[in-house]
Amino acid sequence: MFSWLEKNPFFFTVAFLVPFSIAGLVEIVPEFAQASRPTEGLKPYSMLETAGRQVYIKDSCNACHSQLVRPFKSETDRYGMYSLSGEYAYDRPFLWGSKRTGPDLHRVGDYRTTDWHENHMWDPESVVPGSIMPAYKHMFSNSVDIDTAYAEAYTQKVVFGMPYDTPNGVALGSYEEAKALIYDEAKAIVADMKNQDVKDALARGEIKEIVALIAYLNSLSNERRVAQ
Amino acid sequence: MQTNPALEYDYSISKLFLYATIVFGIVGLLLGVVIAFQMAIPQLNYLAGEYGTFGRLRPLHTSGIIFGFTLSGIWAGWYYIGQRVLKISYNEYPFLKAIGYIHFWLYIVLMALAVVSLFAGMTTSKEYSELVWPLDLLVVVVWVLWGVSLFGSMGVRREKTLYISLWYFIATFVAIAALFIFNNLQIPTYFVSGYGAWTHSISLYAGTNDALVQWWFGHNAVAFLFTAAIIALIYYFLPKESGQPIFSYKLSLYSFWGMMFVYIWAGGHHLIYSTVPDWMQTMGSVFSVILILPSWGTAINMLLTMKGQWHQLKESPIIKFLVLASTFYMLSTLEGPIQSIKSVNALAHFTDWIPGHVHDGTLGWVGFMIIAACYHMVPRMYKREIYSGKLMEAQFWIQTTGIVLYFSSMWIAGITQGMMWRATDEFGSLAYSFIDTVTVLIPYYMIRAIGGLLYLIGFIMFTYNIIMTIVASKEIDKEPQYATPIAAR
Amino acid sequence: MELIQVIREYLYFFTTIALVVILYAYILHLYRSEKRGEADYEKYGRLALDDELSDKPIEENIKKESEKRESIKES
Repeated sequence: MFSWLEKNPFFFTVAFLVPFSIAGLVEIVPEFAQASRPTEGLKPYSMLETAGRQVYIKDSCNACHSQLVRPFKSETDRYGMYSLSGEYAYDRPFLWGSKRTGPDLHRVGDYRTTDWHENHMWDPESVVPGSIMPAYKHMFSNSVDIDTAYAEAYTQKVVFGMPYDTPNGVALGSYEEAKALIYDEAKAIVADMKNQDVKDALARGEIKEIVALIAYLNSLSNERRVAQ
Repeated sequence: MQTNPALEYDYSISKLFLYATIVFGIVGLLLGVVIAFQMAIPQLNYLAGEYGTFGRLRPLHTSGIIFGFTLSGIWAGWYYIGQRVLKISYNEYPFLKAIGYIHFWLYIVLMALAVVSLFAGMTTSKEYSELVWPLDLLVVVVWVLWGVSLFGSMGVRREKTLYISLWYFIATFVAIAALFIFNNLQIPTYFVSGYGAWTHSISLYAGTNDALVQWWFGHNAVAFLFTAAIIALIYYFLPKESGQPIFSYKLSLYSFWGMMFVYIWAGGHHLIYSTVPDWMQTMGSVFSVILILPSWGTAINMLLTMKGQWHQLKESPIIKFLVLASTFYMLSTLEGPIQSIKSVNALAHFTDWIPGHVHDGTLGWVGFMIIAACYHMVPRMYKREIYSGKLMEAQFWIQTTGIVLYFSSMWIAGITQGMMWRATDEFGSLAYSFIDTVTVLIPYYMIRAIGGLLYLIGFIMFTYNIIMTIVASKEIDKEPQYATPIAAR
Repeated sequence: MELIQVIREYLYFFTTIALVVILYAYILHLYRSEKRGEADYEKYGRLALDDELSDKPIEENIKKESEKRESIKES
């Protein structure tokens, strides 16, 4: 009865597709609507944070750092409250990672400062003796791509309905307004930094990658997640 | 039907993919060795400025091995096996031959662009599908070309029944196509906003959903490239090389359908204790454990094929590679389900045990299978015996030592790290700061890197042996039927 | 919401049972049909071994007929 299947490539393919699609549908579809609801008060990433997230992705920080606190006491003691599905509702792509060569970063904004990150990214061993993380000095000389950050935030807003420009919320505005905003944000971060080259660059109108990355890491905190 | 006696199988496309296998193998393994040493000696991150850091090189290593080395090996196998089990020759079908050539060259263009873009940090961050969207489109074209070759060849076949290998090729083709498309649905931001880099895009899914789709892809892409397609190779090469028909055709039918029914469901095990719903995590665990059955069905089928023929293991280094590949397949398909058990996963997830598991599959099973396939094909494609049997023996033992060092060090490292993360003192506070759990692993990272280096050395010996076989070995007047002729030197 | 969850759990349970039954029935079917002499599966194992162009196929693919005529015409 069945041996005809191995003699017919077309029906063989169909026979394979049936279990394959059922499994895929049952596994993925039902959870979709539910999992994509944001937690209450969750804020979108600002312009500088979006740019910083792009830097995080560009250098594959997620290859060594997770952003997922699992619900165990040992993890909540170490990193803070366990992660909730709704906290990721604006993360495109998700950045959970699959390996913790370094610690989890999902709540890093709650316990690290701009100053700490600046030292750490320039020379990890200066703040964490024995660290095997490489220094990221090139982030102090590469500038961020403001246009692409705007393109991403704008797409999030118009295609996916990310709540930018709401009262008391995160502003985006037009391209010119967004550009003004990102410089304001960068000034606030750079004020806490020591590196003179980064300060000089900002005065010339260039935002270095490190500034955006720090803004992003700082945003991984309760402040962005909880309604004010 | 009488066949033209002058008509021969056309190996020209298979040869091209064979060269690609070797080149990507060396590059991918070299990158792997570099990043392994970087974890033990962080100073090695600064060899090439921003382009030499672990973060930039890691996607290059994974893509180079998965989509470079492994895919080339699979396609070298397809363009060789396909004609033979269907009993057609591409010399009769210029269209299929042309498709093969276009397939190969577009693939090479794609891989070159992939290397450049990944070095530049252009990545979507999704593991094993890091390429930016324009390259994703090219991937689709390359894949479709393979499909044309696959189904085109079957359309003109002389043998009515499709051999086992072809079932697995079909499954690989269809599954990867669907997985890849769904995982890479994304919105190019330039076309929405009119600003920024045109290559930039964001995922169509957000957060938990994105993770679901990603690991549905990640798990099954591995399932089909590293498992189904490699099984396709072993179902041909082991029987052919040993001269023994497969132990049980019925068992192979059963394992095939069993695997297809079960494998897809197991993707949830990458997300245990994450924010994915509980029932789905449980399902991932349960199906992962059930998956042992069809996986072992295949592996046992291979080992039983050698029943009464175990003397070949001593006589032929190729059989050695094939049998060890099956054994590593059994090991990793047992290890994987163990890691999917929730309580084990709580310990193992995010640790080095996971890369350890991946590598006993890839180095032992995938790597050895492709190496054995090349050793079997090259003498037939070039009508020469293999240049050196002694070199093969040495390569076999060096690489096996490398694999053992690799996975044993990663087992210890992973479990040590997992235990230290959760260890508490008498007052219930955490016993170790994170950095303690890193510095303790450095000796194991060193052992792992040395294991990887041994494997690379073995691969370079393999390359030398293949090149010498092609250019300098003794010619043979006719294609050997079963065992591959190997020079005693 | 609760109800959907319950339905899904039952569905999942019965799917697993059904899968087990289907796969067992399949292997029984394979062995039985061979025992009754309705099919001989093991001969297909030779496909990998007798794979020269000059080897006779186990079963000719019928589609080949039309093309054969063409190739005769050409020569």
